[in-house]
Amino acid sequence: MDTHFLHSTLLLGSIIAPLLAGVALLFGASFGASLRRSITLAGFGIALLAAVILAANFDAALAGGYNFETKIDTGLSAVGIFLHLGLNGISLPLFLLAGVVGLAAGLYALHSKAERPHLYLGLLLIMQAGLMGTFASIDIFFFYFFHEFALIPTFIMIGIWGGAGRRAAAMEMAVYLTLGALLSLIGLIALYANSGAESFSLAALREHLAGQPLGEVVQSNIFALLFFGFGILVAIFPLHSWAPKAYAMAPTGAVMLHAGVLKKFGLYGLLQIAAPLLPDGAANWFPWIAWMALGNLLLIGLVTLAQRDLKMMLGYSSVMHMGYAFLGIATFSAIGAGGAVLMMVAHGLSVALLFMLSTCIHHRCNTFNMDEMGGLASKAPLLSALFVAATMASIGLPGFGNFVGEFVIFVSLGADTATRWLLAPAALGIVLSAIYGLRAVASIFFGPPSEAFRERWTGDAVTDLQNHEKLPAVLLLASLLFVGLLPGVLSGPASAELTHLYPEAVEVSVFDQTVRGETNAGQMEDVHE
Amino acid sequence: MNVAQSLLVVLFAPLVSAAVIGLFLRRQGVLASYLSVGAAAVIAGFSWIAWSGAQGETAAVSFSWLKVGQLQIDLGFLFDGVAATMLLMVAFVGFLIHVFSLGYMKTDKARARFFGGLSIFMFSMLGIVLADNLIMLFIFWELVGFSSYMLIGHYMETNAAKEASKKAFIVNRVGDVGFLIGIVYAYWQFGTTNLTEMGAIAGLHPEMLNWFVAGCLLCGFIGKSAQFPLHVWLPDAMAGPTPVSALIHAATMVAAGVYFLIRIAFLFTPDVLTFIAWLGTAVAVYAGFCAYAQNDIKRILAYSTLSQLGYMAAAFGLGYPGIALFHLITHAFFKALLFLGAGSVIHGCHHEQDIFRMGGLLKRMPLTALTFLTGLLALCGVYGLSGFYSKDGILIAGSLENPAIFTLLCGGAFLTAGYMGRLFWIAFLGSPKSEAAEHAKESPLVMTVPLVLLAVLSVIGGMTWLWPDTLGGLILADLDHLHHMEGYKAAHKNVLLFGSAAWVVGLAVSFFFYGAGAREDRLEKLAGPVYGFLQKRLWFDEIYNFYVAKIQQRLADLLSFFDIFLLKGVLIRGSAGLVGLFGLGAKQLHVGSLHSYVYWFLGGLVAFWIVATGLLF
Repeated sequence: MDTHFLHSTLLLGSIIAPLLAGVALLFGASFGASLRRSITLAGFGIALLAAVILAANFDAALAGGYNFETKIDTGLSAVGIFLHLGLNGISLPLFLLAGVVGLAAGLYALHSKAERPHLYLGLLLIMQAGLMGTFASIDIFFFYFFHEFALIPTFIMIGIWGGAGRRAAAMEMAVYLTLGALLSLIGLIALYANSGAESFSLAALREHLAGQPLGEVVQSNIFALLFFGFGILVAIFPLHSWAPKAYAMAPTGAVMLHAGVLKKFGLYGLLQIAAPLLPDGAANWFPWIAWMALGNLLLIGLVTLAQRDLKMMLGYSSVMHMGYAFLGIATFSAIGAGGAVLMMVAHGLSVALLFMLSTCIHHRCNTFNMDEMGGLASKAPLLSALFVAATMASIGLPGFGNFVGEFVIFVSLGADTATRWLLAPAALGIVLSAIYGLRAVASIFFGPPSEAFRERWTGDAVTDLQNHEKLPAVLLLASLLFVGLLPGVLSGPASAELTHLYPEAVEVSVFDQTVRGETNAGQMEDVHE
Repeated sequence: MNVAQSLLVVLFAPLVSAAVIGLFLRRQGVLASYLSVGAAAVIAGFSWIAWSGAQGETAAVSFSWLKVGQLQIDLGFLFDGVAATMLLMVAFVGFLIHVFSLGYMKTDKARARFFGGLSIFMFSMLGIVLADNLIMLFIFWELVGFSSYMLIGHYMETNAAKEASKKAFIVNRVGDVGFLIGIVYAYWQFGTTNLTEMGAIAGLHPEMLNWFVAGCLLCGFIGKSAQFPLHVWLPDAMAGPTPVSALIHAATMVAAGVYFLIRIAFLFTPDVLTFIAWLGTAVAVYAGFCAYAQNDIKRILAYSTLSQLGYMAAAFGLGYPGIALFHLITHAFFKALLFLGAGSVIHGCHHEQDIFRMGGLLKRMPLTALTFLTGLLALCGVYGLSGFYSKDGILIAGSLENPAIFTLLCGGAFLTAGYMGRLFWIAFLGSPKSEAAEHAKESPLVMTVPLVLLAVLSVIGGMTWLWPDTLGGLILADLDHLHHMEGYKAAHKNVLLFGSAAWVVGLAVSFFFYGAGAREDRLEKLAGPVYGFLQKRLWFDEIYNFYVAKIQQRLADLLSFFDIFLLKGVLIRGSAGLVGLFGLGAKQLHVGSLHSYVYWFLGGLVAFWIVATGLLF
């Protein structure tokens, strides 16, 4: 069989498998536990397997175009909409991320004590289908459609299985995210309408706009819509307040998939669509992006310090770290964008792991209040080791992917005098995250147990991680290490693609211009002689 | 086996050990400890092979690790004379400390974690030693910070370890911010962070050097080597097990800051060098004073380490990186010896660390006491011992380059002899002042043999004429440079005179002032305010604690309040117009339930589909 056909079928299959599994489970109230388990594992497993196989067969030499392209008419071809799937260097890392986090969330959710587990797992699988679809779509209509497809189950899951106060949290999240999605939808339609490409295909738009770029005002307006729309979805400051609360209330599986993967939709949209297609717009809005990103890094970084609730703390820290990705995009360079891609993947893995482990901690301490914990390390050494590792990853310790992403973004900020001033305040973020990260570790795991926790602690209720908790945690941690130790596997294809879409950073330094100038002049003279 | 392969074995042996311990030997303390010690032995052996294989030649290999856009990051080794000297020191001292730990940690329940941590540390430290570029240096720099964090927090159920580990990591991170900014600037300035390439460019274009990049990178040194104003973490780090204090917080990691300076010496401009010289001198004197108000044997040694790091920085700042390296090496020998001696004492006295509750240990633990004394005399710079030669070099450099610094450093040498004398007279002489000291017994061979070997090194380690030709190139070059300077003879005489006077007088004064085996601190009794002032250590900790609790935390709380009430409550909710602006039917969203929103959305989608596909028309 033709390998291209095989691969593009696999791509389609990575969406359809979780979708079918999800639908089956939604109507599977009567299924037994083992059947439920098999269907769930099949749905998530096939998605990840497909992602890994496709990654192994990915050809970075096709940069500028797409791998595994397939185009299906869904009856919308009259307005230029096709189910047009494919992967490029930017979407591949996120596609893999979705696969890994999905399987981890699924493995963990299998042992969830949620009522009506078939619905819980079913919705999670439908979310997964949406995630895989989002990053596999070349057509921006379907890109958007799959995002909504994943978002709706999120709301429902928070509404049904969320913690106390879930209605308000779900409502607030729904309002914000609808607004964000709507703004970006208007932006995307405006892009389509103004481009004159008569197609929703990103490839076609790209080709068309390369020849006839939009006017600066139009670019600026559309970019604003996309930036604020996508920005809200990624919780950019000051439009972030939905995120910590929603994550604090959401059931674990949903928060792993949303904070870990779905939230990256906005950044992905900016990286893949908004910035490359609207370079003048991006340049005009640069100060906004920069200042708002600094708000994420420094103000939200400080707000994170004030949190005593573990999940709120994680929620805020996740909002904070988005600031790095925004800064990387703001530099409008292949380096910055590449850093943002690495950051998105690493952050997705680490935040999913942290949220998962926070639930494991809750099972043992019966609270999320960090003041009421303490000394857990002696009872649950493996849990503490994994949590320390995840915290170290999220605060950017080398060896984990987050460091690579952050570092590359820092380097990109130094390339140009226009962005160089951002370097120092952005780098301060690594101190803030170290403070709240290590404080959390210290108050949960080290020292003697708190008064409130002592009774539970001395009893038998507190055990170390069980196998069903270990498996997804190890999967996520191993992936984090993989990205951290061999970042080239992801950054290679990403970089190949990004150098097509973004200009090279101008290598000017405030110090060496004269030096280089002289050297060049010297060489010229040599030639003359 | 070629040099690069041996170096790979050196670097990865401890990583393999740590990984195996972490994955399989978490509950097998004995196996874990042997594995870790075995890895340390492999490191020592292959370091030797690599060094003898290199035969004084510089070996450099690197491979591409990451490429994003035009940014290319390589990982590689730069194995020159400086790296070889440092590598042999780290490998050998590290191995002895590993062996010592077998005895010291024998009854510890979390032995596997401890030895795993030591292995991770060795991996990270060796990475720093071998790194050929700034980015790789930074990677391993952060990793030693992590292993230090992990090992300081070893006794994690105690509050002291919990606080100290956190503090060490965070304070180091503050320094690392500067380091990071410096790397980025250096990269865009030189177009590379490779040490050799940068050195070549800097040599060709000295006008490219500027204080800003050097100053940023200097921050990394200030954090790791615990200099002003980031020195506060090191004394608290003594909450870790004593072998950790010996290995990480005396012999190797804190000295890595100085090593880092030596690696990038070509980047420094004269004004930054002068700054470093004064910084180091200030720390040397300041820490010397602080040591007088400490009763914990390990904390006294910690301040001594601070002070000696100040000497190294001063030597570097005066323009003699080779002499800084020399002192780094000899200091590693005698300070590791002193810490392990303290460990042996603590082990013998059932975890008693207060020198005023010891006494009479010379009789009860003679081998420990004598080796400790050897280390002490080497530290004081007694003629012929290792510390003498390196300190001599620093003082001569001071006397030739900057008389003010020379005077202060001589004063520092006097202080050193004084507080070390205080420690020794009180803890080792007289009669036991506690139950624990009464029953103190000499430690087993596994602990005393490393002490003896380190004592030998503390004696002969400074005799450069015994060194093989392929070792210590930079050290010998700088010493040679001093020899040929004008006024060397007079300076040398001065230094011999003042340097020797400093330790003789220091030891004597402390003996007669405190008295052998004293039961209480005479300074505290006679001059309470002075003692109290020294105990406050210029209020650094108080100021930082005030900042953290009263400024940073309050700002955080205030922002958190704003975030919850103002942003969300007033700005966002209040401006419902924002939603209405786009004609969304804001009301419907606000009053409707979640389900109606979902249906509303799906309805819209279906309607769009119908219109778009032309089903109705």
